[in-house]
Amino acid sequence: MDRTLTLLGIETSCDDTAAAVVRAPAGGRPEILSSEVLGQTALHEAYGGVVPEIAARAHAERLDGVVAAALAQAGVGLEGIDAVAVTAGPGLIGGVLSGVMLARGLTAARGLPLVAVNHLAGHALTPRLTDGISFPYLMLLVSGGHCQFLLVKGADSFQRLGGTIDDAPGEAFDKTAKLLGLPQPGGPSVEAEAASGDPDRFRFPRPLLDREGCDMSFSGLKTALLRARDALVAEKGGITVQDRRDLCAGFQLAVTEVLATKTARALAAVADQRPTALAVAGGVAANRAIRARLETVCARFGLPFVAPPLRLCTDNAAMIAWAGIERLRLGLATPADFPARPRWPLDQAAPALLGSGRKGAKA
Amino acid sequence: MLLPILAFDTSAAHCAAALLLQGRVIQRLEPMERGQAERLMPMLEEVLAEGGIGWRDLRALAVGTGPGNFTGVRIAVAAARGLALGLGIPAVGVSRLEALAHGLPRPLVVIEDARRGQVYVQLFTPAGPGPAHLADRIVPACPATGSAAGPGALPPAMPLVEAIARIGAERAASPQPSPAPFYLRGADAAPPADPPPVILP
Repeated sequence: MDRTLTLLGIETSCDDTAAAVVRAPAGGRPEILSSEVLGQTALHEAYGGVVPEIAARAHAERLDGVVAAALAQAGVGLEGIDAVAVTAGPGLIGGVLSGVMLARGLTAARGLPLVAVNHLAGHALTPRLTDGISFPYLMLLVSGGHCQFLLVKGADSFQRLGGTIDDAPGEAFDKTAKLLGLPQPGGPSVEAEAASGDPDRFRFPRPLLDREGCDMSFSGLKTALLRARDALVAEKGGITVQDRRDLCAGFQLAVTEVLATKTARALAAVADQRPTALAVAGGVAANRAIRARLETVCARFGLPFVAPPLRLCTDNAAMIAWAGIERLRLGLATPADFPARPRWPLDQAAPALLGSGRKGAKA
Repeated sequence: MLLPILAFDTSAAHCAAALLLQGRVIQRLEPMERGQAERLMPMLEEVLAEGGIGWRDLRALAVGTGPGNFTGVRIAVAAARGLALGLGIPAVGVSRLEALAHGLPRPLVVIEDARRGQVYVQLFTPAGPGPAHLADRIVPACPATGSAAGPGALPPAMPLVEAIARIGAERAASPQPSPAPFYLRGADAAPPADPPPVILP
């Protein structure tokens, strides 16, 4: 489609209810006309993590309001929309279904095309929306739910080089905050504590660093942190503020070193394919210590480091609208009866990292 | 009565739709354990086609809000909200218990199986409906209907989705809140058991 496209994007795969309008002239720079994100942190706070049923309930009752707000903010009515793009997975299926069904109703009512978008593709294509970078590029997607290296070769062509075999780093940050009595979300609170801590007082494991390839593991790190905390509690009945800062600093350094080492390995592995940049996405990419180390790695390889602004790194619907535009430009059709998928790896050829059996790989 | 109205329900192991036109009702009921998310919109378009009208001819929508299967209820409610937004017409939520009671004499108690050894109960008197609630087995003191109402249960006056359409058509004549799932049962979630450590000065 070689004309200006204006898409409504919808994202409900975790705990953010999001809608956005993105306009892209043929061959010109795309523009985000609106990007509304309604978070649910307060709803899940008491449970120490996202509760799928609570998230699904909130999406079902809030999404139409968020869509209306995104349209109003963009100053375009539904008559100005060319197509709707919706996250069809992977993610918490109750939320994904709420988004998909609202999108089905909306597109049926308006006679508009509906584009099913993979949530991970939305993250992976964001650097093209924000910085206009060319294929191929290496993407480190590092968030509360995901952690993987992808060589992005096209809007529908992804090669996964490796990823976490258990927890995602964002999840590890959240669990660390919980174990140390810090507020959620854990990323910013652990980072703030770590800033005045001694990273060398506690030496936490760097799992899989000795193993070839780009796979990572973060669940052992959380267990090691729990042991260190419990040792302090056994010794003096609690932990001091300084203990907590040092634990956070040690934890953050371990995550940083694993990500930096594996990023270097991934860049070396794809060097012959001449990537144009290393790009990051996901909430963990907002961590300044991690970001600084990744920039150093990039400099060593002589590659630009591309980090979209935080509001486009974390879950949002502008990335879904943009991924929809990329798919429409390629002429990729969405079958009307596409399923909502809790599991949907971007690279269907790579062996499963997480999950297997009847339902197939998660990522 | 706001007609034509299109009603649908996926709150149990079925996909059901009814189009209520002046003096005519067209309906479909397909039993299915899963696949409602893919089947619902094509079924609605079939019903519209059989009625000889298009989306733009509708004046209102009605949707079954449960109680029932959480995911199933959300499938229909989300679709109804999307359609209402796209068409600029009202969507009315109708509970399964109200729909089962529709067209039967009062007083009436609706007793629906809620699984886990419990029932959804709502009393309808000539003065109006009482509050719906979740209960352990109850013995009805007046005529009863519903899947857990026992051997003397009254059969429903009409198919569930037709009742949703008829109630919706009456209500849509005045302003209504957006349809919302009617769960009657909380989300299964427990606060974490392990407390945070004591922070020493």
